[in-house]
Amino acid sequence: MARERVTQADEWQAWAQRYDIEGGIRTFESGLTVKVFIGALFVGLLMMPGSIYLSYVSGESGAGAAPWVAVILFTELARRSFTTARRQELYMLLGLTGAAVGSGMQYRSFIWYAYFINTPQAASYEIADKIPAWIVPAGDSVGVLTRSLLHPDWFLPIAIYLAGKLLGTLRSVSAQYILFRLTADLERLPYPMAPITAQGATALAETTGKEETWRWRVFSIGSMAGLIWGFLYIGVPSLTGVMMSQPIQILKIPWIDFTQSIEGFAPTGVFAFRTDFGQMLFGFVLPFPIVMTEFITAMASQFILNPQILYRYEILHQWKPGLDVRGVGLFNGLDFWMSYGMGKAFSLALVGMAASIPMLFKLQRSKKTAGERGSFATPPNRGDFPIWLMGLLWFVGMGGFVWLIHWMVPNFPLSFLLGFAFLYTPLNSYITARTFGVLGRDLFDIPYLHEITFILSRYEEIDIWFAPLPDEDYGRGTQSWRVLELTGTTFTSNLAGTLLIMPILIVSGIVVMHFIWKIAPIPSAQYPFAQMMWPINATNECLWKTSLRDGNSQMLQAIRGDYVSAGFTSSLAIYGMLWVFKLPSMWFYGIIGGIGADPGSMIARLLGAVIGRFYMIKRFGMKRWYMFNPVLAAGFACGVGLIGMGTVAIALVSKAVIVKPF
Amino acid sequence: MEKVATTIIIIGSFLWLFIVIALDGRWQWQMFSALVLTIGIFCAHFWEELRDTDSTKESGDE
Repeated sequence: MARERVTQADEWQAWAQRYDIEGGIRTFESGLTVKVFIGALFVGLLMMPGSIYLSYVSGESGAGAAPWVAVILFTELARRSFTTARRQELYMLLGLTGAAVGSGMQYRSFIWYAYFINTPQAASYEIADKIPAWIVPAGDSVGVLTRSLLHPDWFLPIAIYLAGKLLGTLRSVSAQYILFRLTADLERLPYPMAPITAQGATALAETTGKEETWRWRVFSIGSMAGLIWGFLYIGVPSLTGVMMSQPIQILKIPWIDFTQSIEGFAPTGVFAFRTDFGQMLFGFVLPFPIVMTEFITAMASQFILNPQILYRYEILHQWKPGLDVRGVGLFNGLDFWMSYGMGKAFSLALVGMAASIPMLFKLQRSKKTAGERGSFATPPNRGDFPIWLMGLLWFVGMGGFVWLIHWMVPNFPLSFLLGFAFLYTPLNSYITARTFGVLGRDLFDIPYLHEITFILSRYEEIDIWFAPLPDEDYGRGTQSWRVLELTGTTFTSNLAGTLLIMPILIVSGIVVMHFIWKIAPIPSAQYPFAQMMWPINATNECLWKTSLRDGNSQMLQAIRGDYVSAGFTSSLAIYGMLWVFKLPSMWFYGIIGGIGADPGSMIARLLGAVIGRFYMIKRFGMKRWYMFNPVLAAGFACGVGLIGMGTVAIALVSKAVIVKPF
Repeated sequence: MEKVATTIIIIGSFLWLFIVIALDGRWQWQMFSALVLTIGIFCAHFWEELRDTDSTKESGDE
């Protein structure tokens, strides 16, 4: 029997519909109330330290838990007070708590560069003394050596960051709104993924009725699993790290490295088993074909392609026995996979264009045949803004941003900045908004745009690598406006909430980050994930930042045209052959993700996908399983987050006690 | 159009294999096969999308 051909858009929309439990509503109310605001601040700020701490200990921040904790608390309080929580309030609570818990992470780069500037890598690549003062103070400054973000040395980097954030908020709010009006109101694009986000809040709003529903039970199961796992994986090493010089790890963080064990039969292969079983929950929700093909391709890459072809033909030539996963990864990357990966990224851009351009033609054509067109008229009480005002705000925000970058890197050609700001960004954002409107995902992305720009500009100074460029994409954000519309939340209340909470978060984020940095140097034994990953990240960063220097850097030597072409063409050939044999396009994304990757990092995710596909769906039915999934994941993240919060509290208290010498 | 796209993609894929095996994978030739594949993939997607529009129109007319 011949297989039926399904377009990429239909394939992805069919997947999106699994989560789509109900349609939207068209009556609008404000979601911002005093109790929502205080609730979001309370839970967000309570969990923020734990989230930052977890990200350095295990690589996962668990920040996703906080909004759900806030919503669960809120709904329970509402039930016990014999009142109801509106879906507008819950959606607003989700957004504000997410912003609050993530506010500490916005200063992450300060800690990274404070480490980076004093690394041996930065010294040996001769860039340590060339890192601009608007990114990080000098390596021997008091602010860096005493690990204090509140020291005056940090004022310039923080001031630049805050100016950028203010201008960024102006730009993103205004541009997203204009694009939303264009694509959702005028063009009537469906935004198929928006109902998934909307249903989390709407589903939990139901729980404020008198009867207890399945959601509370599923959330509790997830939370208990998260608490147990969090204690074993995060709690034990963190607590023993407080008391001992070397923490006890029941399961090694972040992985158990088998690379040296397989080098006998698979030289140049890597296999490091990632021990974070929280990844299983991603496996539950990710499309099964993607997870499966990704794993199979990664296995084939490390056990067949690397040792039997690339190593045998001396393409991978820097490898030597005894290297761990980081060493093999670095050498393999420099020899082949970095170039191949660049080609792969270009193929993704081309495939995205090939899928989206005909889609745009189709939309134009269907509009003409039906003779229909949406209008700029807005639904009553949605809380809309004048388009001209938003346009003006965007121009002010973008103009100010370009001026700021020009001040930071005065010798970089201004024409490139203006081109990015006023030509590339609007075009790129509009295309992305449309692909989100039709497919629910981004398809159009030009890879290595910054690197290409730097080469074309013939600018060789290091400082440009540290400066932001005005090549932005607001298209992705248009979906959140559609979610507001689906939950019936007024736009004005959402904007007011965002603006009210921002100053509080700016201050609290920096204070919390300051105290976490004070606990111990980052990276150090207290922070195993950072200790494992940051040195290799520093090497990679040095390679990139010096890649255009003198035209003969290690990075430029590593990028070979024939390997880039191989990555580009082979990926196109894979995509084409999948289309010819009418196989799902999801396989392509799995294969491309898996090729050259470490299969050990995917095992937990694969386990989750297999359990979900072959047990859970059969046990609960597809519709119920996909209803359970977001709530279960929220419960698990909540459990892990609570453990992280508890351990960071103990670590902070113990540090406060120990620092006194008498 | 579907058959044209299929043929172009198959030619492009085998051309790439031939270039890698017989011509030492020179990037210029690889990019030529990428061009062939790109044409095939664009043909494939245009056919898919515009075929759908036609079928929708027909069903709408009915």
